[in-house]
Amino acid sequence: MVGGPPLGSALVALAGGAITLWVIVAAIRMLISPGETDPSHPKYSVLRGDR
Amino acid sequence: MAAETVSQHDEDDSELTRLLGAYIACATGWLVLSTAVGIIVAFKFAYPEFLTNPYFSFGRLRPIHTNDTFYAWASVALVGLVFYVACKTCATRLYSIKLGWITLALFNIAAVLGTIALDIGFNNGDQEYREWIWWIEALLLIAILTAAYNLIMTVARRKDDDIYLSNWYTMGGIIWTLILSIVAFIPLYQYGLGQVAVQGFFMHNAVGMWFTPLTLGLFYYVLPKLLNRPIYSYALGVLAFWTNLVFYPIIGAHHFIFSPLPWWLQTLAIVFSVAMLVPVWAGSANFLLTMRGRWEQVRRSYALPFVFVGVLGYLLGSTQGTFEAFRSLQAVWHLTNFTVGHSHLTMYTFITFGIWGGIYALVPRATGRAPSLMLTGLHFWLATVGMTIYILALSIGGTIQGLVWMSGAPFIDSVTAIAPDWLWRSIGGSLMFISHLVFAWNVWIMLGGGERVASRIEPIKEAA
Repeated sequence: MVGGPPLGSALVALAGGAITLWVIVAAIRMLISPGETDPSHPKYSVLRGDR
Repeated sequence: MAAETVSQHDEDDSELTRLLGAYIACATGWLVLSTAVGIIVAFKFAYPEFLTNPYFSFGRLRPIHTNDTFYAWASVALVGLVFYVACKTCATRLYSIKLGWITLALFNIAAVLGTIALDIGFNNGDQEYREWIWWIEALLLIAILTAAYNLIMTVARRKDDDIYLSNWYTMGGIIWTLILSIVAFIPLYQYGLGQVAVQGFFMHNAVGMWFTPLTLGLFYYVLPKLLNRPIYSYALGVLAFWTNLVFYPIIGAHHFIFSPLPWWLQTLAIVFSVAMLVPVWAGSANFLLTMRGRWEQVRRSYALPFVFVGVLGYLLGSTQGTFEAFRSLQAVWHLTNFTVGHSHLTMYTFITFGIWGGIYALVPRATGRAPSLMLTGLHFWLATVGMTIYILALSIGGTIQGLVWMSGAPFIDSVTAIAPDWLWRSIGGSLMFISHLVFAWNVWIMLGGGERVASRIEPIKEAA
């Protein structure tokens, strides 16, 4: 496909791509090892009965 | 003193249950009406001579179907459910029950007036999903504003320091939507390309910054409660929240690929459409990993099959959206019926199934009344089979339509080529509509038409 200034598109793609890669790495780390074993963590509080 | 506290809690719960019931009853009525209109619109493709009266014309009925589905069914149901979730997760009562009723009245008044106005020919032009005229849109904006105030003030009264993840999503969604609505309705730049850019911003974000976070917030409460298991990764949910906020707002411009909008804006929309895979896959994986090893429990549940389909709809619909943004695929699918199939994959398979999961999980617990497993199963399978036929028909038909256009053949050839798929779409849509009637009956049972049968209430277990 043609059209538009290539440098502008490349800069946009690079900046967006860098941010995306960074969060992909973070997401994979959290998927492999979620941690959060402390019983006082908020994710357990929702199981402890509603009011 | 303790007895007084218990009594006050019972009264608060009773008021909250009445309010929740009213939201769900109104939303269900709007679902039946808006999808009845959708069926008429669908059959017009297969049978163009069907109902040619101006009040039943495609141009008037189509926005009635979409606006009522958005703002009267999904919005009303979700606001009712998130009020309930906020109270439960924050261990407090709703900030103002009266304001909750006012919000519901405003949503309903806006929807009634919007529907009438559209049917008699008054609309805001061809601005998709914002066809209601400005003062009716203003009523909708006030409804969202009052809901936001009530929700935020309720969360502010929580007993814990932490704000549970569900409330991040629901408060985020409602605040983003206020900004979205204000930007979309200010008239100063609503002309020429400015209007196109704002339209792209609004139409996409109405789904991704309103319905999506509210439904995800609902999942983050319902899944752990029904499975008696915490969400797999809380941090991943937080990451998905922030990445959704960073990546989503700009991607609406991918609806206007090859338009005169700036090329860099189109490119940015495509790049961030790819980036959206991060929150989508992270969020979906988080939900599926929370369900891992509990598939028998999911299968036997009233609510969890709906949530499961909702999660799959989120994963598939959003991933499909990313691929649709590519210029090479837009060249085929742009302006075809493929897009209609995509919008139903997201708004129906994800959002509507998600809402149903939330209703079947929470309403019986609030009212003490549950529908029969058979009718809930009938609702589920009619909707699932109907939706599958609908989406496959439009995905296949839309692709054929685009390829015929690209071949340079006369336009009528594309009409002939997709005609069988339009009939299949009507058949699938009819099954979906019948499922809504079954759902409406189930809502009637849950809200007072049925007996209190404790054994039918799906237990929401508490950790030891």
